[in-house]
Amino acid sequence: MAAVIELTGITKRFPGVLANDQVSLAVAPGEIHALVGENGAGKSTLMKILYGLYQPDSGSIAVRGQPVVLDSPRRAISLGIGMVHQHFMLIPVFTVAENVVLGSEPARRGRLAPDEARRRVRELCDQYGFVLDPDAELGALSVGEQQRVEIIKVLYRGAEVLILDEPTAVLTPQEVDDLFANLRRLRAEGKTIVFISHILEEVLAIADRITVLRRGQVVGMLEAARATKAQIAEMMVGRPILMELPVPEVAAGEPRLVVEGAVIAGARGRPAVRGLSFAVRSGEVYGIAGVEGNGQSELVEALVGLRPLVSGRLLIMGRDVTRTGARGIRLLGVAHIPEDRHRRGLVLAMEVWENLILGHHTRPIFGPGLLLDRTAIERFAQERVARFDVRTPSLRTPTLALSGGNQQKLIVAREFAFDPSVLVAAQPTRGLDIGATEFVRRQILDAKAAGMAVVLVSAMLEEILTLADRIGVIHAGQIVAEFARGAATPREIGLYMTGARQAEVRAG
Amino acid sequence: MSPRVRLTVLQMLAPLLAIGFGALVASGIILAIGKNPLDVYGLMLRFSLTRADSVAAIFFKATPLIFAGLAVALSFRANLWNIGVEGQYYVGAFAAAWVGFAIRGLPSGVHLPLAVLAALAGGVTWALLPIALKLRRGAHEVITTIMMNYIASALVLYLLADVFRDPAQAGTPRVRTPEFAPNARVPLLRPALEAVGIGIPEHSALNWFLPLGVVLCLVAAFLLARSRFGLEVRAVAGNPTAAETAAISIGRVQFMMFLASGAVAGLVGLSDVLGFFGYFDIDFPKGLGFLGISVALLARNNPVGILVAALLFAFLDRGAQGVQVFADVPREVITILQAVIILAIVVAYELVTRYVRTQRKREAERVILAPVAAAAGEGGA
Repeated sequence: MAAVIELTGITKRFPGVLANDQVSLAVAPGEIHALVGENGAGKSTLMKILYGLYQPDSGSIAVRGQPVVLDSPRRAISLGIGMVHQHFMLIPVFTVAENVVLGSEPARRGRLAPDEARRRVRELCDQYGFVLDPDAELGALSVGEQQRVEIIKVLYRGAEVLILDEPTAVLTPQEVDDLFANLRRLRAEGKTIVFISHILEEVLAIADRITVLRRGQVVGMLEAARATKAQIAEMMVGRPILMELPVPEVAAGEPRLVVEGAVIAGARGRPAVRGLSFAVRSGEVYGIAGVEGNGQSELVEALVGLRPLVSGRLLIMGRDVTRTGARGIRLLGVAHIPEDRHRRGLVLAMEVWENLILGHHTRPIFGPGLLLDRTAIERFAQERVARFDVRTPSLRTPTLALSGGNQQKLIVAREFAFDPSVLVAAQPTRGLDIGATEFVRRQILDAKAAGMAVVLVSAMLEEILTLADRIGVIHAGQIVAEFARGAATPREIGLYMTGARQAEVRAG
Repeated sequence: MSPRVRLTVLQMLAPLLAIGFGALVASGIILAIGKNPLDVYGLMLRFSLTRADSVAAIFFKATPLIFAGLAVALSFRANLWNIGVEGQYYVGAFAAAWVGFAIRGLPSGVHLPLAVLAALAGGVTWALLPIALKLRRGAHEVITTIMMNYIASALVLYLLADVFRDPAQAGTPRVRTPEFAPNARVPLLRPALEAVGIGIPEHSALNWFLPLGVVLCLVAAFLLARSRFGLEVRAVAGNPTAAETAAISIGRVQFMMFLASGAVAGLVGLSDVLGFFGYFDIDFPKGLGFLGISVALLARNNPVGILVAALLFAFLDRGAQGVQVFADVPREVITILQAVIILAIVVAYELVTRYVRTQRKREAERVILAPVAAAAGEGGA
């Protein structure tokens, strides 16, 4: 099988880091080749080398059997290699056609030819079965449609090999299905696709072959048809991973967090949450599933007292805390894993021990008066770091030096201190690698087993299906459906998430 | 531990490098006016450091800079830009002056503290409006404090010339308040220094505000490093959103720090007014608030560093007098030197900060890589 792309012995070194170490990868024409690995395994570096953004320190690249030097993206594009970026490079006020041709506009005698552009875009859509209106304004499109524009843009430039960098991270389950249908069609038309991901279900669903990277090295290549999730995960992490965490059987107790008819203002004063109710009991995980931007962020902020309720009531541990504010709610034992750990969760410039006591720093155990008791803090911080496996050179290391996974562990370690009774976790595993994700999810289940009431907000439906005892689907600021564990398929939930289906629900 | 020590040394080295760079630029200017930079710097060092009157003058000149630098740094530490130290110290100094001349017959143990309290109150009053406007209405404190500076300057001038002008000076060109009651004046340091065997020139006005400034800096450093409130200040400055999430009241922290800044600002002029003049004069020293910004920048808002930075500025100032008189070099050259040091220091600190940050990251990465192999054995972590 003649490879369309062949990377041989690629090594790329950054100061202090060996990003790619003798990596060899052969991509066959007309296949979907998945590149998987944890954060920092070297996937992105390798793809940037293939796209001409980085130069390898050693190793060689051949395209269709010819050795090439890829010294710029321009060169890569001329060889038929195109990249669909994770963050779209599109202009919202332009139309679809304008975005596609931007940078290589068809022109006649120096003047733009918009009709020609529109025609070419329509042809490409027809050829590959993409549903897109060339005249639609980009800003009005859904995220999935915008991604289609990105793909068409790459095809327009003559790409035979498409690199997709974590393409599903921003999509709903339905949009993922659509994307996969598009990718299969592209494969049928003879295109070659390199698909970067760390979500194993997707990789198994779409890829023909899978190459696994770990710490800059290729640890193996598998035929997708014969691979299992557990097998790939173990290769990625280097140790066995429990893919299905055992969910503890806990009898749910008294309601600990009750929201009644909450209306919460979002940006520019428009209501982001519009009359939402639910209740979470002790020993229960209540998952809130939904496409991002449907009021989840505002709801989470309101639950922990950082955003006022315009109307409605919030009860925690049986007490009305609608007007209590963050400090009072914290004192009732509400732990909070914020959705954006850099913005809300940590003061990155502060040291590990400081972040570990942030929010607990008023507790008398850290010093009876004005001054902080360093010995007590040190003891506390040591215990937390050891118990939650936060890998840090010392307690006095600035938090910004830690990896994302260790930063998140630090937050979990802090929030789980002093026996909280309620946990509000928003996107708790976002951006984490498999090992850290497993760790955080295990902590959430342990919290439930210990009798905490957990509100879990996640954009990853799979995460909610794994962890939640009950699932509320949020759409346009309302809970549009509620299911018990296992009572609905992902597809059904997806329909409610996008607003395609509505149901009358009452708070449980 | 040795890499940590190395990083700390590097951080201390940054200001020295900046000073060296400033000296280099000033050398070019000195060459351009036809003098030998080495001679000029040599003279400057000899004049400033080998004469007892120079040393005393440096410490006297540093005293208000310590207060001004600390006042600015306290606000900077809470991510607030108190550009109004200038106005706050006019008001504080005038309030103290008023207590000094308007009240008579108090014992010294009461009159001086009363004057100091009046100065604190004056500074706080002048800081109150900008911070209230910021917290209530979102008005940026840079704008409001600059405006308050103009008001303070006009107000003090009015009070001085039209309300409290010493009637004994009528008909003379002197515009000043009546003399203070002797008990409102601050005692000089000379007796105490002589008691421990340090001789200073008789005319030196070096007074007890110097040790007060040193103590204030040390107390501020201690509280910021060790107290609960200090932790809240660091959190608010480092990431207000995360501080808010940890149920820290950003408004309270900023309010307290701004008022503390204003209170310290109120003391800036006292060493001159209560220690040297004995009355409030129209030629009362101005611009100390702005110099305080430079001092705080050089000290990186570190209260202990402010002591060093204030002494450096006082040294340069004294040296400038020396080169002007004895080497015929305009003192503006030294002003340029000061300015270049400030510019260079900002760059140097940024470079060192970045370098330290990458070093710490690398250190953390090594820790992550090391125990992974061991973790494989543990399994269920």
